[in-house]
Amino acid sequence: MTDRPLASYGLLGDTRTAALAGDDGAIDWMCVPRFDGEPLFGRLLGGPGTFRTGPADPATVVERCYRPGTATLVTTWQVGRGRLTLTEGMVADLGGRLLPATLLVRRLSADGGPVRAVVDFDPRLRSRGSLAVSLTCEPDLPIEPGRSIPVTVVPGRPLTFVLSVAHGEPLVRVEPAAAWELLAADESRWRAWAAGIDATLPCRDAVVRSLLTLRLLTYSPSGAPVAAPTTSLPEDPGGVRNWDYRYVWPRDASIGVAAFLGVGKVDEARSFLAWLLHASRLQRPRLPALFTLYGRRVPDERELAGWTGYAGSVPVRTGNGAAGQHQLDGYGWVVDAAWVLVRAGHHLYAETWRTVRGFADLVARRWPEPDAGIWEIRGDAVHHVHSKLMGWLALDRALRIGETHRLAERQRRRWAQARDALAAEVRARGFDPVRGTYVRAYGSTELDAALLVLPLLGIDDPSSARVRGTIDAIRAELSAGGPLVYRYPPGRDGLPGTEGAFLPCSFWLVQALACTGRRVEAVEMFRALVDRAGPLGLHPEEIDPATGAFLGNYPQTLTHAALVQAALAIRGSE
Amino acid sequence: MDWAGWALFGLLATAVLTAVLIGAQMAGLTRLDLPLVLGTVVTADPDRARVAGFFLHVAAGQVFALGYAATFALLGASWWLGGLLGALHVAVTLTVVLPLLPGVHPRMASHRAGPASTAVLEPPGLFALNYGVQTPAVAVVAHVIYGVVLGLLLQAR
Repeated sequence: MTDRPLASYGLLGDTRTAALAGDDGAIDWMCVPRFDGEPLFGRLLGGPGTFRTGPADPATVVERCYRPGTATLVTTWQVGRGRLTLTEGMVADLGGRLLPATLLVRRLSADGGPVRAVVDFDPRLRSRGSLAVSLTCEPDLPIEPGRSIPVTVVPGRPLTFVLSVAHGEPLVRVEPAAAWELLAADESRWRAWAAGIDATLPCRDAVVRSLLTLRLLTYSPSGAPVAAPTTSLPEDPGGVRNWDYRYVWPRDASIGVAAFLGVGKVDEARSFLAWLLHASRLQRPRLPALFTLYGRRVPDERELAGWTGYAGSVPVRTGNGAAGQHQLDGYGWVVDAAWVLVRAGHHLYAETWRTVRGFADLVARRWPEPDAGIWEIRGDAVHHVHSKLMGWLALDRALRIGETHRLAERQRRRWAQARDALAAEVRARGFDPVRGTYVRAYGSTELDAALLVLPLLGIDDPSSARVRGTIDAIRAELSAGGPLVYRYPPGRDGLPGTEGAFLPCSFWLVQALACTGRRVEAVEMFRALVDRAGPLGLHPEEIDPATGAFLGNYPQTLTHAALVQAALAIRGSE
Repeated sequence: MDWAGWALFGLLATAVLTAVLIGAQMAGLTRLDLPLVLGTVVTADPDRARVAGFFLHVAAGQVFALGYAATFALLGASWWLGGLLGALHVAVTLTVVLPLLPGVHPRMASHRAGPASTAVLEPPGLFALNYGVQTPAVAVVAHVIYGVVLGLLLQAR
């Protein structure tokens, strides 16, 4: 088990899987062959498996950063009078070359004098299965799985390690020198990709890191963005709020459409929508709450026996029980993503428009039903106000798309009637006229920070008392101090324990302020939130407001997408 | 060799196979859409691709029917031999043709795709399981029916 702070971990990735590398030089989490595969290194969650190449003696991290615009991570330790540097990354673009599908490269180099280091390669290998792993080193070392090897790194003579993984195919051996060159070529491609991101964005470096993280967490073979590369990192350390996020939520993909389109990455935006429409085909017109990377049904929850969890948080789960929930808001996110493309001048394929019409028909039919809501509450379904508003959004955006795409008059009338009825009901039953704010659910007095998306919807004028009242009430009642907000009153979800401030909502607050004319506050809050990132610019799902500790699965797609959205809103408010 | 029977009944059997696949898709059993998969070789627009893919699929069905007709000419046509050939046909399709497709399809990603990939179709994987867990069953049923139809019709002549 490790109790190392989550913020100290960096993300290595190849857009097919990812690894978390600690500032001691240990990769403590990595699943193969895909994000949702078996953990090869599981020490992060108290399971077997780690791969450490770091200093043998007590050392101080003097520098740890990504090379600008790339996914290559560099860590330098001061060890006595010498310095030891670990440069590591994964090769993402294999092209048409004979290379293993997973190729991780690490290089230890020293300067200022020889430095004692240690190599501890201890993969978690199952006795059966089609997985093969190899570790190659240059110069050659007598590496044995599960045994620490002491080694002295001499200036001018770096050690290069190549981890190759094959699944259901022969292992391909790659010479360390060749692997190092492949990593350098990959770096150049990432740098070119990052250079194409709009230069006018506020806190551009943070936005670029977020976009790189989003791209690294997008599974290239299908175009699906995983919510996070990890499972069961706790929202409440020592508690049971440990979920598997190695799956794909339609809302993340939808937000990704707007985020990538907003910074000029049209291919990525289109790819997300294409994946969403393809993945949802089996259940159409119903939109599942989440999918696997290939759009299949997410497995039921299972607990990993013997895994002690991060910070003792058990159970460690695989699978996700939210898969069967009815979440009305998902339709709003997806239809809005299609509208974002149309608004940007793109025409939807006839098949895409057919699918969107199916979603709108379903919303027009089912909006009066209660649902599990965006926060996937595991109790009885209720009438979540955010869900209703997103249902309104689905109908409204479908009607707007219908202005430039073929739409039967009867269908148009049905959607318009449902949209207006929904608006009337949510204003009557979801709004507290005394406090001047929308509430969490019909009949409830609690608030929900998901309502911060209100200014973007258009159901009420962004400058109206309803919208401003809701934003101000959430700021006042759900504030976790500084720029942080809780998503709802902590612990009010039927589960034991509590949780931290919810970062996507904090970025939505920035967006809400920017969209309602409070740009100065928005910029100030945005900068404060960006400063809350880990030393590598990565964000988790939640933060402990008291200690600043990262909580929940990490790094989190929704948080990084919300950061980009907030930056775009600030830019748009200029 | 019954050339007239091959020409007519090959077309008919392919139509039945296509109908079974479309029916399974509409019933939410599979995301395997052969006209789309074949048609996106020539165009990215899914609606145009389906039209092009339909004709490519019919042509492919006719080519496969040639093998069936030749076998029937050698061994005698029967519904059960047609079903057996259908089973062989689908086994090759699911384990060889579809898994190899990402290597030649310009718009289909492979499991090795990286950020530079512009492919939009996900790879079918072994047994085309990426298109839904029921896909192999649907494909087996459709192809066995294809073989049985050919066997019955060519036997009747």
